Amino acid sequence: MTPTIPGSALANSEGQPPRAAGERALDCLLAAGFERIEPPILHPAAIFLDMSGEEVRRRLFLTAGESGEEFCLRPEYTIPVCRAYLSSGKAGQVAEYSYLGPVFRARGAQGGEQTQTGLESFGRRDAEAADAEVFSLGLEAAAAAGGAMLKARIGDAGLFDAVLDCLAIPEPWRRRLRRGVARGLSLEAIFSRPSQSALAQPGVLAALESADHAGAKALVEDLLAIAGIEAVGGRTPGEIADRFLEQASLRSGPPIEKEKRAALEAFLGVSGDPDQAAIELRRLAHSGGLNLNAALDGFERRNGFIAARGVGIESVRFSAAFVRDFDYYTGFVFEAHDACAPGAKTALSGGRYDGLARRLGAPDDIPAVGAAITLDRLANGEKS
Amino acid sequence: MAAQKGNGAEGPFVLAVPSKGRLQEAAHAFFARAGLELVQGRGARDYRGAIAGLPGVEVVYVSSAEIVGQLAAGQAHFGVAGEDLLREKAPNVGARFELLSPLGFGHANVVVATPKAWIDVRTMADLDDVAQAFRARRGERMRVATKYVNLTRRFFAEHGVADYRIVESLGATEGAPASGSAELIVDITTTGATLAANALKPLDDGVILRSQANLIASLTAPWGPKARQAARDILARIAASEEALNSREVRARLRSPAQAVVEKACERFGAVPAIGGDVDPHGLIALHCPRDKAAELAGWLLTEGAERVSVAALEQTFAARNALYDALERRVGAA
Repeated sequence: MTPTIPGSALANSEGQPPRAAGERALDCLLAAGFERIEPPILHPAAIFLDMSGEEVRRRLFLTAGESGEEFCLRPEYTIPVCRAYLSSGKAGQVAEYSYLGPVFRARGAQGGEQTQTGLESFGRRDAEAADAEVFSLGLEAAAAAGGAMLKARIGDAGLFDAVLDCLAIPEPWRRRLRRGVARGLSLEAIFSRPSQSALAQPGVLAALESADHAGAKALVEDLLAIAGIEAVGGRTPGEIADRFLEQASLRSGPPIEKEKRAALEAFLGVSGDPDQAAIELRRLAHSGGLNLNAALDGFERRNGFIAARGVGIESVRFSAAFVRDFDYYTGFVFEAHDACAPGAKTALSGGRYDGLARRLGAPDDIPAVGAAITLDRLANGEKS
Repeated sequence: MAAQKGNGAEGPFVLAVPSKGRLQEAAHAFFARAGLELVQGRGARDYRGAIAGLPGVEVVYVSSAEIVGQLAAGQAHFGVAGEDLLREKAPNVGARFELLSPLGFGHANVVVATPKAWIDVRTMADLDDVAQAFRARRGERMRVATKYVNLTRRFFAEHGVADYRIVESLGATEGAPASGSAELIVDITTTGATLAANALKPLDDGVILRSQANLIASLTAPWGPKARQAARDILARIAASEEALNSREVRARLRSPAQAVVEKACERFGAVPAIGGDVDPHGLIALHCPRDKAAELAGWLLTEGAERVSVAALEQTFAARNALYDALERRVGAA
């Protein structure tokens, strides 16, 4: 824990930045009933690598335990807080936490330690109200910490999933769309990727066009037997057969029908004022014959809660194409930057992540939503 | 270490070479071809040595991984190491090292290989697709066994493959899929025989790096005047033997004047006058030309009036300009 320097904006004698900005943000969260938690700094690296992929490895500060297992310094708070919650005996119950402290990410010459503050809410069944509370508290805390002019963007990963469901997008395209949109690619870029691989066995694909799983599996087994290959390494003949079937279906039909593409295009193009967006989405759903009622009811309820909490709606923009990372977020997502801060990088970010608890070992999903503030990205926040 | 010894006094020039096995023999042979005889002090078990006739040079014998480490730390000026190890172990290779010369041995490719049974996977795009499906189906990422953690990460990122985990493997990587500790591997292969024996196949576009042993200069080593002189001496001899190996001397007598013929030969066959200077007034010419152009040049000279043309191999050719050293000096800055 670092000492607070009350009312001081000056660096202390060791040249450390003052903590006052973070403390101000934390006070805001504590006042709202989010109990402070201080999870461990050291965690098994595999948890973060499993969750975010090998790309985060170069950002992690890694170290090895006595018997060689890899540990890392926490690169963020959500997973550590969620782990602490799951082992607290309160797993599944409502628990709301706030935090303030260092996170560690290698950033080249800029060093590796940043101060984050934030909040996580677990177990609440009133999802939209919880979303709105976490979002607005995040904005309030960021403002208290020195965010001079916060501009927020919100999105809904669950809504996008609902659209894919309604349109009955087949599996390989569904994966590509989710990932492509999360990476910020245009539909055109996603669809222009070669839809099938240059497999050497067009004959196999042709033979499989009308086959079912069992038939395809038998064919793959035959092929492997003829080639004298014993199946080793992770994938079963059944899985290989399913991929052939997928490829065969891509080969035989047009990738995605024109009308569906147009509907996706129209959906992803919706952006602007959240209330206006809701009207536009209703209109699109109606004209496209898509049953998005449940998802849109939730969307409108959340907009109402956000407005009721006094968040200036003029500083919030909705974008249907803003979904963040499907590996993690399952619903409401948001981020905000401080237009007055140099570089104006995302200073506040968060969203709903109902699937995390189960991936960390809980028997079921647990509703969860959180927000994190990187203090040195605020105009008057801390510089690290 | 040696190169950083002393306050102000310049330490010796350090050349790091592999301490054992075929790599060491090949390195010795390479330097010997350049007329640089590496002498190991007190027999094969000593890890220090010298180059006969070059007193300012210290040869250290260390493992390949350590050579990269010493070059990165600026403890060795020159080192012999595979490009695979260099690119794996040292980030930012371009800014910290100069790859002076490929050495023609230690050839190996770093490749992505999957089980042969994956008959639906031939390219990285296939792998991406399969990795996504694997994860969607099992909730786990596909595991890649390798000792080339950094090379793998960079290559997979370039191909947009994200749904995988690296399992570090420090030996017998090719056995990982069979033993169930990984689904696929990234490893080094020379002939592909080891992969085949383990029922693995490389992907068509899965060659991460075509590696061979290189003579590598550390840009962070102390480059004082003595070190530069040693580097210049070593590189002059390497360049001399390399160029000689790839050139032929072509001699003939032409009806004078020969000036125009020489100029044309230089232009058409990439030849250079063997010892520079003015063309002999009696029509005697000597040219150095690329080995594969020598016969053609000789034939052409016959049509230009020569009666006999001789073509001879060269032992070493020294030139006032030393391209290898110039390349190094451009990187470390003028003295």
